Amino acid sequence: MRSRIARHLWPVLEHEQRDAVDPRAAGVTVEPQVPPLELNGRDYAIFLLRLAAEVEHGLMVQYLFAAYSLGARDTPEDRRGDVRAWQETILGIAKEEMAHLVTVENLLTALSAPLNFNREEFPHTTPLYPFGFKLQPASLDSLATYICAESPEEWDIPEDEEQDIKDRAQVAAGAPINRVGLLYAELMRVLSDETAVSPDDFNDASRAFQASWHEWGRGYRQGERGREAMSSLPDLPAPELLIIEVGTRAQALNAIAEVGEQGEGLEPGTENESHFQRFLAIYRGMNELGDGVGVRRLATNPTTDLEGPDIGAPEDPNSTTPIVDEEAKLWAHLFNVRYRKLLVNLSHAFALSDDPSDRAALTPRGALIHRTFSEMYNLRAIAGLLVELPVNSADPYGPRAGPPFQIPHTLMLPQDEGGRWRMHRDILDAAAIVIERLTNEGAVDGQDYLAALAQADETERAQIELLIAGSALTASRNGAPPT
Amino acid sequence: MIQELRILPPLAIARFGAAPTPMDNYDAVVDPQRPLGYRDLRPAETFKVDAQSGEIVDTFVPTRVTFTEDGSVRPLAPFLEVWALTDGGELEQLTTALLDREGASVSDLRWRVQVANLKVFRRTNIEDDKVSADTGDFSGHERHTLRGECPNFLPGKTIPFGHVQYIKPNDARPEIRLRFTPAGGFVYGASRTLAPQGPLDRNVVDAVYDARPGRGTWLGYSDEDPGRPTTVPGGIYAQDPPASGISSGYLDDGCDGVVRLTLTVGGRELSAFGRVGAGPPTYAPDAVPIRTVADELEQALFGPSNKPDEATLERVEEIVRRAFETIRLMNTPAMNEQGNGMAGHDNGARRRFEPIMARSLVDEVALENLHESLLVALRSGTAPWFADVLRDYDEIGDLSDRGRRKMPALMRGADGRHLTLTRRQIDLIRTLARGPIFADENDTP
Repeated sequence: MRSRIARHLWPVLEHEQRDAVDPRAAGVTVEPQVPPLELNGRDYAIFLLRLAAEVEHGLMVQYLFAAYSLGARDTPEDRRGDVRAWQETILGIAKEEMAHLVTVENLLTALSAPLNFNREEFPHTTPLYPFGFKLQPASLDSLATYICAESPEEWDIPEDEEQDIKDRAQVAAGAPINRVGLLYAELMRVLSDETAVSPDDFNDASRAFQASWHEWGRGYRQGERGREAMSSLPDLPAPELLIIEVGTRAQALNAIAEVGEQGEGLEPGTENESHFQRFLAIYRGMNELGDGVGVRRLATNPTTDLEGPDIGAPEDPNSTTPIVDEEAKLWAHLFNVRYRKLLVNLSHAFALSDDPSDRAALTPRGALIHRTFSEMYNLRAIAGLLVELPVNSADPYGPRAGPPFQIPHTLMLPQDEGGRWRMHRDILDAAAIVIERLTNEGAVDGQDYLAALAQADETERAQIELLIAGSALTASRNGAPPT
Repeated sequence: MIQELRILPPLAIARFGAAPTPMDNYDAVVDPQRPLGYRDLRPAETFKVDAQSGEIVDTFVPTRVTFTEDGSVRPLAPFLEVWALTDGGELEQLTTALLDREGASVSDLRWRVQVANLKVFRRTNIEDDKVSADTGDFSGHERHTLRGECPNFLPGKTIPFGHVQYIKPNDARPEIRLRFTPAGGFVYGASRTLAPQGPLDRNVVDAVYDARPGRGTWLGYSDEDPGRPTTVPGGIYAQDPPASGISSGYLDDGCDGVVRLTLTVGGRELSAFGRVGAGPPTYAPDAVPIRTVADELEQALFGPSNKPDEATLERVEEIVRRAFETIRLMNTPAMNEQGNGMAGHDNGARRRFEPIMARSLVDEVALENLHESLLVALRSGTAPWFADVLRDYDEIGDLSDRGRRKMPALMRGADGRHLTLTRRQIDLIRTLARGPIFADENDTP
């Protein structure tokens, strides 16, 4: 268990939760203490929100991996439409998790708190995390895990089926699954408590820095999901991105309630199906089609690391899978660089404000938002190449490499704008090195993509040079030392 | 035996230019190493026509593409070819040899070109405001000026619409062709007196329209006068004072019309026709608009749906390329607002004063980069994922936030409403979007 999170969570856990994460606690009777010592109410809310950011981030990445695994050639001809719909549904849920993450960052911004775009790496357990992070192909096991994580307290399905799913999930995850709803319920409780978080703690002026649906929603209509199909598949409801700005306690509680409802809601019907309901429908479909049918044989927890503490025995389902095929490994590195670039763009966008009434005051925030989406497109593109490449060229028909989603060494933004743009430039330089190697060392597929990506990066780098120069000029005018 | 004749292309669009030498040919191609760059303009094989004889006297590839000559724009002057449907059901180009086989000669072909400019008539609905030119039948190879005449013109005044020339076949180029050379792209004015008084309006090269009392009404005409048949959009003519609705009385030398060809062989009369038109020069020749006349024609010919084998990523890539090429030419922050921007057209639902997109998102460079990144990702082979955001043909009046922000954004169609791609273009993208998002080819022996 990670100490920095666990030591604060420990006091608030119920006995069985403690026992689950640390058997040494068995038999120790200590009443939960909220907020935990060392934290006041506001700080505890921030702690929980930062944890929520990690959870949403982790779920998004795992769901993307699962979605990318769907669509294998063995899908029966007459079921391809179904499998494609499952894939689009999970991609839609991942988009909604992305929006949840952004809304949680808005909540942190509203509390004038440090943002959190980080998340834990491979197998780990943390209380209030729904389950150990695991990149794995879609299967009945993984779907059962997602269902439990997104489930409400009471399930409205046949008891036998409920028990089957819970049992399967527990075996797959190696521990009972924590509902995400527990975390949001705790947040709701803390943020409702005026003695814990005072009205003054909500900074309405921070909205200028927060993400808005108008900037991030991309047409995925707030409050109108399902009114008409907008997804690539005409009969499938489009995802609804809940990107909610927060300036008051009421808005904060509403945001948490909406995000929670989208995850675990029970309202039947196609228009407002929760993640729980959507995963349940896919689970039932796969159960009928056959476990793993239509799923690519992707490696579990693929990684560019060849050695490390997380690498277990090959038969350990929670171990990481080193990508040793040279081409696949280079693509995996490129994937990681673009993943970092996405997170840095996202984080940097939150550091800049825009006054929409004053065009002269516009910042590169809009450009960073567009760049964030551009990197989503790149992740999809590179994932598409990775799911075709073997993990190990010695086993050319063995498992395929999937997108590794490895967290970079840092996601902290430098203090000043010049430093931030230098960080962007560093990332582009790193990308250029990998692109050059892939180009020169003969990547079989993707050469057209690499040529275009290199040119796009070159253009962006030139723009960043201008921003670095502009930042230096602004800094010198303000009397700050040049960066 | 020739069964039927065809003029190909059936529609040729010329571009204005006042320079004496027509534009040379070029290809606009994408450099595979710089796929996001401007299209390269590569010189291509070009005919040189002798003005006097009408013969093609040289075929050459220019060393560079040059759009002007001594400060004037070189006109784009298309050739119309004649093709014959023969007994085998094959189309073959009509040549002197084929004519020989039919017992006919070059001079047995009779051409007639009729073109018109009905822009003033379209607004005033007065027959005497039609400007038209007719060459009558001809078989010779001299140039035939297209002299635009109009009952409401001042005595002796015409608007030159350019000329046509029946290309004289020779041993090197025995094919049958006609060339249409458009006008210079000038503006003509109106006069309230028989002889214009004082200097001409600086925008016009001649005063041709007779605006004396009892004659033409174009000078001073207003769309806003009661009883006018309105058009959508209205008011698209030069106005003085600006935005007053009152016509400045301007005409231009654009035209379109029909080219007819007749050949009598063995007692049978064969005929064909084609269409010509003239429009402004291209000032962004290395870019293609997101929706073109070619897209309309393709939809008219082949319908709004694509066959599965017609839906290729390359065609989607071309649409995306045209999207960022179009953005390069736009002032997107301005188009996002009222005034002359697209938001200003949203006069329903009281939305004209509201920007369409969040202002932080409409920086031209950032938008261009975003659209380029679509193309970058498509080149990996992934299926398009942006079908959701395309505006359908029946959503052009949707002034909700979601409706106004659909793609293509910040542009209007000819009806003044938000632009859409053709149904066929949208179907192409959606067809691919419905398919597998990644390939799946390599994991089994």
